[in-house]
Amino acid sequence: MMRHRTEQELIEYQFKLASDSQMRQIAEHLEKCGQCRELMERLKRRFSALDLLREEVKVSEDLISKVAEETQGGVSNLTLKKRLLRSARNDKWRWIGAAAAVLVAGLSLLLVSNLPKEREKKHQFAKEPTTVASDIKLNESAESMRAVGLSDGAAAMKPLASALSKEETGAWRDLEVSGIGGVAEGTIPEQPPFAPASAIELVTLPRRENVQLTIYNSADLTLVRERRNLTLKKGWNWLQFMWANTLIDPTSLTLEPLEQKDKVEIEQLVFPARLREIGRWLIRSEVSGQVPFEITYFTSGLSWRAFYMGTLAKNEKTMRLESYVRVDNGSGEDYENAQTRLIVGTIHILDQIADLARRQYPYDSPVTIYRLYSDELADKKNAPVLGERIRGIVAADELGLERKEVKKEGLSEYFLYTIGGTETIPDKWGKRLLSFEANDIPVKSLYKYDEERWGPQTIRFVAFANDTKHNLGQTPIPNGDVRIYSQADDLGYLSYVGGTSIKYIPVNEKVELNLGPARLVTVEPKLMDFKTENYIFDTKNNVSGWDEVQTWKIEITNTRTLPIEVEITRGLGTAYWTLQFDEKEISYEKYDVTHARFKMSLEPRSKRTFEWTVRTYHGAREEALTKTK
Amino acid sequence: MENTDKSLIDAHCQGDGTAFAEIVRRYGQGVFGYLMRMSGSREQAEDLVQETFKRVHEKAHTFRGERFKSWLFAIATRAALDNLRRGRRLRLVSLSQNVDCADGACEQLNAVAVAEGCYEPSEEAAMAERKEQVRQAVEMLPPRQRATLVLAYYQQLSYREVAEVLGCSIGTVKTQMSRAMQTLAQRLPDISGEVK
Repeated sequence: MMRHRTEQELIEYQFKLASDSQMRQIAEHLEKCGQCRELMERLKRRFSALDLLREEVKVSEDLISKVAEETQGGVSNLTLKKRLLRSARNDKWRWIGAAAAVLVAGLSLLLVSNLPKEREKKHQFAKEPTTVASDIKLNESAESMRAVGLSDGAAAMKPLASALSKEETGAWRDLEVSGIGGVAEGTIPEQPPFAPASAIELVTLPRRENVQLTIYNSADLTLVRERRNLTLKKGWNWLQFMWANTLIDPTSLTLEPLEQKDKVEIEQLVFPARLREIGRWLIRSEVSGQVPFEITYFTSGLSWRAFYMGTLAKNEKTMRLESYVRVDNGSGEDYENAQTRLIVGTIHILDQIADLARRQYPYDSPVTIYRLYSDELADKKNAPVLGERIRGIVAADELGLERKEVKKEGLSEYFLYTIGGTETIPDKWGKRLLSFEANDIPVKSLYKYDEERWGPQTIRFVAFANDTKHNLGQTPIPNGDVRIYSQADDLGYLSYVGGTSIKYIPVNEKVELNLGPARLVTVEPKLMDFKTENYIFDTKNNVSGWDEVQTWKIEITNTRTLPIEVEITRGLGTAYWTLQFDEKEISYEKYDVTHARFKMSLEPRSKRTFEWTVRTYHGAREEALTKTK
Repeated sequence: MENTDKSLIDAHCQGDGTAFAEIVRRYGQGVFGYLMRMSGSREQAEDLVQETFKRVHEKAHTFRGERFKSWLFAIATRAALDNLRRGRRLRLVSLSQNVDCADGACEQLNAVAVAEGCYEPSEEAAMAERKEQVRQAVEMLPPRQRATLVLAYYQQLSYREVAEVLGCSIGTVKTQMSRAMQTLAQRLPDISGEVK
């Protein structure tokens, strides 16, 4: 009777755990027994579930690099010590053996002298210990030589492929560093390598620790300062970077260690021939491990502009002002958690950075970038420093750019405007950032009438000053667009009042925002009377001089529910004029030689009318006015 | 010509700093896969990989055999078992990186799978559930059986190599494997016709 195979037997058959004879027996049985075949198939299907977990488990390159790096440098000190210790132990036993052999030899010689017949044989035996001792000496020498060879080998170690950590996201993926000529012990070769080995592994740098953008809006220019922790090998290191698809100006690149400055030297920046958009720094490091570096460069494609939102209180006596900047990034590079600083002012450059970045080779410019900037800015207060900085001579803190907490600082005739906090600005993205906000800024609603400038209409202005009395004055206000809203009711609904552009407003300067024509405040001047008099005739009885007398009536209507101030400017057509008013409380100021300006206040929903008479002097009458004065 | 493992170890012992890096690159992936399946955690596997290669680095001069891979996995196994003994493991078993989804790898893998038409979206959840059942089944194996299973089945080492790694006889390895598979035969889910 045929015995069915157990599940265990079938499992052992499937996984080849049984002996060869058992395997054959089970195979033969399965050919004959359908029931066992069915059980076997069922087991196979069941075990196929294990394949669900057969997904390839990928180790990160970062880890491999890290392990390789940590263990690099040849035999570790610990291993070397162990070897030497082991060698010493072996030597100890060899010495003991040698001493024993010598002792035996001595005894043998004594025996030989006493036993002449066996002299030759014993003599041969007596040679053995000598040979052993000699071998020990040789071994010792060999061991010593090997130890020396190790240290020599370490000193002259062939180039190492450095394996460094890799950050995939957000990192400047084109920056790579490799260690060559690394040494575990000993001295660094004096002669720097000509170039990295062709087969060298170049590994991406860690992500930026922080990055700072200084954006000049008057020119297509941004200074980027970023900090990265590079892992260096002791010896010569290559740092390779690429600027493909970015607008980085490679000639502006500088690299500087922030720590271990006395042990890490930036030797040179090489732009290899036939390799486009690649540069390599050669770094000599006397330390092995992480060193923070600062990389600075100019880039194009980043721009910013300011805009403002003002919200007038219901009584229009105060205003809340929110200031924003919009930063647009078209540089080809993502900037994560960037501290953003904006330069207010005009900078003059000879070449556009974008043009410099797009050159085929970074060194084919007739004018180098550092010369450009150092020369162009030579007359500016900090320009020489900036020029030196670009050359990589001046330390980072000499520029004063480290003071991250400083919100504003003068840079010669420029102004540095720092946005609080950090922002991530990806490539091709724009981002609006809040720069400041001020509440309860006292404002005046001012209406102006000047036919020569705006025609026969009243223009509304909101006036305040950029000073501490107006809860401002902390920083100059960059030029930009302003939109003014007004609270329409107690529920906080807003109505749009008007918009305008402002120019750069220094601290303690007055601001008047032109909100456009006003409909609720009107100014209507009417000419009521006109006459000429005081004619002067010359010797031929021709008219040589006269006066013109005009009587004007001005009617001002304020249909608003708020008190207002009105400023009326009138052009008089000549520099020789006098004014008279029908009301004593009306006054004027001479705006310029041909213009007079009246200022007055009006109560809510009120109308005011006044007359004024202007006498202008013409021809020979002008002298009469001069004599009168 | 590619260097042999032995020549690399010898070169390393002679002070060639590049040799050990080559060893790490040659075996890092395999060791990580093994330790990942043993520890069930990517984070712990990464620690163990470093620990393993650190031990290899320090004990390279003691390597006398011909089979470096077995020696290496033996050290990795000891590191994994030491880790287990120290009770550092939070989870005993997981055989796939899908378990360790802290870095979002799961979503990426699933997204790729769906994009490539591997799974219908409706099947995805069911498949994940079955994987979890398999993981749990393997989790319940004793450590030695599990090590045997992972080395022989997933790392595809021969039983002789597994025996060298675990420091036991081939017979013991086969016994461990047999017991492991008998246990799994009872616990694995039936996925007839579902495995793609």
